[in-house]
Amino acid sequence: MMESSAPVAAPFAAETVGLTKRYPLTWKRKVLVALDRLDLQVRPGEVFGLLGPNGSGKSTTIKLLLGLITPSEGEARIFGLPPESLEARRRVGFLPENPYFYGFLNGDETLRFYGKICGVTGAKLEKKIEDLIELVGLQNGRERPLRSYSKGMLQRIGLAQALIHDPDLLFLDEPTAGVDPLGSSQIRDLILQLKKMGKTVIFSSHLLEQVQEVADRVAIFSLGKKVLEGSLESLLTQNEGTQINLSADVSPEQQARLVDALKQAGIEGGAEAIRFTRPHLSLEQLYLRTVQTQADPRAKNPPVQ
Amino acid sequence: MEIPASQMSTGLPLSRRLKRAVLVALLLGLWAPFKIVWEQEIAREQDFLRYRGITMTRHLRDELGQGLTIGVLSGMRSVVADLVWLNVPIAWMNEEWFKMGGYINLCIALQPRAPIFPDMGGWELAWNASIAAKQDPTQPNVLRRLKASRFWVERGLEVYLRGIENNPTYWRLWSDTALLYDQRLKDYRTASTYYLKASELPNAPVYLERFSAIMFDAKHANDDQAAYAGWVALWERLTPEQRKMRIHEGDRIEGEIRRLEQKLSIPNEKRVFPN
Amino acid sequence: MISSLLRIIAIGRITLTEAVRQKVLNVLLIFSIVLVGSSVAVSQLATPGLDSAGLFDAQIKFVKDFGCGAIGLFGFFIALLSTAQLIPQELHNRTIYTILAKPVRRSEFLLGKFLGIVLLLALSVALMSLAFAATLYWQEIEGIHATTAAYDGTPNWRANPTAVNSYNHDVQLVITQVRDPQIIEAVLLIFAKLVMTISIALLISTFATSSIFTIITTFFIYLIGHMESTAREFWLAHGADASIWQTSLVGLISLLVPDMNSFTIVDEILAGNKVPWHHALSLLGYADVYIIVLLAVSIIIFDYREI
Repeated sequence: MMESSAPVAAPFAAETVGLTKRYPLTWKRKVLVALDRLDLQVRPGEVFGLLGPNGSGKSTTIKLLLGLITPSEGEARIFGLPPESLEARRRVGFLPENPYFYGFLNGDETLRFYGKICGVTGAKLEKKIEDLIELVGLQNGRERPLRSYSKGMLQRIGLAQALIHDPDLLFLDEPTAGVDPLGSSQIRDLILQLKKMGKTVIFSSHLLEQVQEVADRVAIFSLGKKVLEGSLESLLTQNEGTQINLSADVSPEQQARLVDALKQAGIEGGAEAIRFTRPHLSLEQLYLRTVQTQADPRAKNPPVQ
Repeated sequence: MEIPASQMSTGLPLSRRLKRAVLVALLLGLWAPFKIVWEQEIAREQDFLRYRGITMTRHLRDELGQGLTIGVLSGMRSVVADLVWLNVPIAWMNEEWFKMGGYINLCIALQPRAPIFPDMGGWELAWNASIAAKQDPTQPNVLRRLKASRFWVERGLEVYLRGIENNPTYWRLWSDTALLYDQRLKDYRTASTYYLKASELPNAPVYLERFSAIMFDAKHANDDQAAYAGWVALWERLTPEQRKMRIHEGDRIEGEIRRLEQKLSIPNEKRVFPN
Repeated sequence: MISSLLRIIAIGRITLTEAVRQKVLNVLLIFSIVLVGSSVAVSQLATPGLDSAGLFDAQIKFVKDFGCGAIGLFGFFIALLSTAQLIPQELHNRTIYTILAKPVRRSEFLLGKFLGIVLLLALSVALMSLAFAATLYWQEIEGIHATTAAYDGTPNWRANPTAVNSYNHDVQLVITQVRDPQIIEAVLLIFAKLVMTISIALLISTFATSSIFTIITTFFIYLIGHMESTAREFWLAHGADASIWQTSLVGLISLLVPDMNSFTIVDEILAGNKVPWHHALSLLGYADVYIIVLLAVSIIIFDYREI
């Protein structure tokens, strides 16, 4: 390492340069290019979404960034470090897509095990376990083996183990897949909470609406290539048209008067160009509003608010 | 997306694969000569201690059959020998003496340093088989019966001697051989030497040394001089402490020496127990 | 260094916990303990038609051989079957992903798994040895009873000092045959041989695609290992004379396969012959170094494996 007098720029949380992964398909005498020359940069403190259909390269990217597989070409870096190095992995947490955990351990034992292999021990570990169990709301299931957990519970324990060593960067692979909307929104809130704590989150998802709620920037993958990248703001904002939001009700006569007023202001357009509609809730918002008002009589503890 | 292999290189970069192979070869290559030297050393020691396991010959494989051969090859040699031994009492009950002898020899071949095989095997042959042959109701000719009987005694003796060769410090084999010379072969002098040798070995019971001298008494070799020499030799190798013990226990050694000194008219100054 | 060790131990404990919580293992263990105890029944079959002097010798040999044989056999199955599915199961369930995403080295992961299985084996061997010791003690009591019964045939024998001496001597014979401290040596050697088997199975599983392959290959190497001494001696003596194929094959076996047959010295120990401790230590040392070499090779191969 050379001494330098110039200040070094803070490294990206995650960065790839020409990252490529190929798998030989010997029986077909072909090569599967799972990821093709990916250039990506995720800044610290960002929430970054990876979108794309199955087999588009999202999971491969995550595994390459975790050092679980090695690239065929190109480079990946975590906070400027090689992903397979211990230092890099100390700062990274991973929530896998499916529950890649030991079914015979219960919630407590699972967290204790992962804590120990992350180097968290003793009283510090025990306190962390308590905090995390409370954070993810698993007080009910902590004594039961993981093989008896529902999908939602597995996601929660998965998040807890990803956070056990207080990582700076989190990888979440399909964090809300198969989880009921209530659980999903809790996970979303958690992601926002982590962001507030200054952590970086990279997650992949199919559920576009949910990505929209949390992500700062996204990348869209297709057939192993990154096709589009940018902030949600810039990507989703249509280039044409304007939207005005009114909370008051508007009667048909008032609508006609408004159209005249707009025409007088020089804004052109016929009946189709200016439309008056009721604001819409998303189905999810309606659902959450309805479900959250009722406490679940089956739970011993009230659900996390 | 899939691309024909010809257009692209695949899998692990060659350098990584090569590096891995070289490291492995290096490690194994460094260990291999060391391993052979160490193994030879262990083998030499086991030869010295006379504990070498048997080598699996074709003959042995045929005799054992496939299952037991695999048993031996997986290191369960003694268990296989024990299982083979279970055939011996069965053969004895069926009076199939030759078969019995075959099994006994196989056990000894499998585990030569298990003295129990020649010990019990020799007994089965030299006594059970031999006496059965002597009393064989299917053989009317007395001479033939005696000859057969003698045949089995000799087979038993062979087994005992083989046992002694492999297990020279197992007192029972010497003692059993002595008994055979004494009671079946009527060779009392040889019996005496075997009894004496047996008595000197670890764990041997005390009475054996007495037998070595008794072999020369009137009921046996009837040689008073040899008997006297025998008893005196026994007395002389005892420490004063041991002598006191023996007398206290009522050991006949003193009585015999006195009697023979009297009988042989040994001059007083040469007597162990002068008048 | 310490943190590395702690990680290895954590993974080792998990591996042991998983194995212990599996029902199959418990069944195997109970079965083996039953077998150790039933060695007594087999010993009864061996000794009809003989005088009582040789009887106990033969019986105790059978009990020792079958007892240790059961420990060796079941230990072998436990070792082989648990090791063979260690890595394939982690890969199949993908639990390895979650672990390797943490700051753990692949080598630590492998060593932790190895430690877990060795602990499992140690536990199993300890339990079976306890059953074996209990069986031996039972034999001792039986043996003393039989001796006393034989002497009781003569009335008032306890008044006769010669008879009493003889009785004490016979009882002592029974006890020394049962309480032979060398049996510990024997069990240690059996254990070492089994840990070598574990190391071989682990090595093969680092590149094998299925656990069946690992099991079959390890079993074959185990068998060939018992013929390695023959191969080695042939190679060293006649290597130059034989054909190129023969020499290569025999040479390969001699250079790579462990000499399992040298551990059959356990038979001699059980037959009551003296095997000096320095020889046993030499064998144990050989096994240790061999295991370390195998683990090192396993780590190298596993480090580069695509998961």
